[in-house]
Amino acid sequence: MGHDIFEITINAIKLIVCFLIIVQAVPVLVWAERRGSAFIQNRLGPNRIGPLGLLQLAADAVKFFFKEEFAPANAVKFLYYAAPIFALIPATVAFAAIPLGAPVQWNEHIFRLQGYEINVGIVFILAVSSLAPYSILMAGWGSGNKYALMGALRASAQVISYELALGLSIVGMIMTYGTFNLSEMIQAQQAPLSYSLLGFTLPLNFLPAWGIFYQPLGAILFFAASFAESNRLPFDLAEGEAELVAGFHVEYGGFKMLLFFIGEYGHMIVASALMVLFYFGGYVIPGIPMETLNQWALEHAPDANFASLLAGLITLVCFLVKVVVFLWIFIQVRWTLPRFRYDQLMDLGWKTMLPWALFNTILTATLIYVAHL
Amino acid sequence: MPLGGVIFITIFVAIFGVVILFAASLFGTRKYDSVKFESYECGIPVQEKKDTKISVKFYLTAILFILFDIEIIFMYPWATTFRDFIKSGEGGYVFISMLVFLAIFIFGLFWEVKSKALEWE
Amino acid sequence: MTADVFLFWFLAIVTLAGGLTTIMITNPIYSALSLAFTMVGVSALFVTLNAYFLAGVQLIVYAGAVTVLFVMVLMMFDLKHEVTAFTRGKISGMVKSGIVAVLAGILVGSISLTTDIFSKSGAAPEAVIGGDTTKELGKVLFSKYIFGFEALGILLLMVAIGAVALARSKGGTHAKQ
Repeated sequence: MGHDIFEITINAIKLIVCFLIIVQAVPVLVWAERRGSAFIQNRLGPNRIGPLGLLQLAADAVKFFFKEEFAPANAVKFLYYAAPIFALIPATVAFAAIPLGAPVQWNEHIFRLQGYEINVGIVFILAVSSLAPYSILMAGWGSGNKYALMGALRASAQVISYELALGLSIVGMIMTYGTFNLSEMIQAQQAPLSYSLLGFTLPLNFLPAWGIFYQPLGAILFFAASFAESNRLPFDLAEGEAELVAGFHVEYGGFKMLLFFIGEYGHMIVASALMVLFYFGGYVIPGIPMETLNQWALEHAPDANFASLLAGLITLVCFLVKVVVFLWIFIQVRWTLPRFRYDQLMDLGWKTMLPWALFNTILTATLIYVAHL
Repeated sequence: MPLGGVIFITIFVAIFGVVILFAASLFGTRKYDSVKFESYECGIPVQEKKDTKISVKFYLTAILFILFDIEIIFMYPWATTFRDFIKSGEGGYVFISMLVFLAIFIFGLFWEVKSKALEWE
Repeated sequence: MTADVFLFWFLAIVTLAGGLTTIMITNPIYSALSLAFTMVGVSALFVTLNAYFLAGVQLIVYAGAVTVLFVMVLMMFDLKHEVTAFTRGKISGMVKSGIVAVLAGILVGSISLTTDIFSKSGAAPEAVIGGDTTKELGKVLFSKYIFGFEALGILLLMVAIGAVALARSKGGTHAKQ
């Protein structure tokens, strides 16, 4: 019984830490976005409070707390307040299923650096992300505002349209690895790269066997679709301020607005983490297999427990570095590309990305079957 | 069991959201007047929600999404088992049957594009 | 009471509550949202049966697609003022309950006729417990039920054509007054 309580406590702590990672990443990302956009546009950005303006985050949080609390008279109160809370849930639940580092073995216990290990990880994450439109629709309807409703319908139509391209672009990747399990995918990407076509083998030992080298088209489609899924520029039609003021969150302010923000950045973090997992080798350091790392940790730590912990922490840092690279691409793209028009957006999703994803699927299947890729 | 964890984190996040919204509502000034409670529609007198006419395209997009989504979902078990089928020698049969399924999918998509159901003028 | 049993009863009660809310509540938006909640509960019940892939499909297709369509359509038409006519009345309520009972009877009867789920003494087959059922599902789907699988593709195609035809039948592409 004591063992059970220990396990449950550890799992609960891990889950709360996963949630706190998302919540804590948001102010840092907002800071990076503001400084980064200033850097791109030849400005200074927030630089008054603290070193490099880093304390601006704390000031913003305090400011949010002292905002006036109100709901518009037209609003449906329950949905109006439930929507921002519900915006947090899909991103957090999906993020907790992502393995952030190599499992740590401490005596007889094995601690996985993830909220929970799920056998059908990809399906779970897709399924949970597919619940995201509810928060948008609840906010749009609950605000009792015409613009909010229009923005919500647009946003949800966009999210579900790109969910098709997103779901189809990873079919080729699943075929390559032959599994839904995220940890097994990372295992499969550790070996050095070698293409084998029609019995010939082309070894490229200086590169790791990352998914990107097997599925370049799928990776591009997945990344583009995840921009649309997280409502980021150039796909942020939901908030096209020229037509819709601010989209579904036009009536929100203060902390309610901030919760929507956390949800959006949470989707960004999940998308970047999935990108790293599927196509860039997960938590494994490029060029250094896990065995070498474990060996190195054993030599530099007092005993096996600490060695395992050290290896886990190093892989965690490696994973976070890779995720940060993709988050930076999210920010860079926001300040590089202009917003689409709505018909262009729908055309891109249905008539360009969906056929290309289909092509990728058929090509992968043919290569695997005919050429034994 | 992962299910307990999923339920736990869902409830935890919901409670976190409720607590933080409640805490934020304790601070801050409150100066209300009737104008503040109006819907924010750029100062024009507020229109009723039911006057809004919304394009039937949204409905069409949603229903086509459901259909294609189901077809894509059916590709997932195929994708995981494809290598196993090839190993056991049934690869060709499964490959052809999936190509037939994909041909129906492509025909459907082609037809939708042809019939201008996906045009947003 | 073990954790599994507790989890089952918790989920069953929550799911049933969602289902009851769906049919009892008068506001159509809340009704659709609680239908979505019910779908999520059913998916969690699938997880307790170790049917992970089925649970994912339940979430993606029913909660993430079908019910989103319901909610979107209900939000397009403002149904706030038409809530009373459909959900009140003693005689119609009894008729509805009767129909539900007949439907439930047909469902349970057909399940008990086609499978031997009620004659067995509870224990699930060994292969299901703790295993990965997804690959088994794929293998059965592409060997035994391949014809049904292809027929499903054609059915979905026909539904797509029908939906487009319906949406375009009144001429033009926008809702008329």
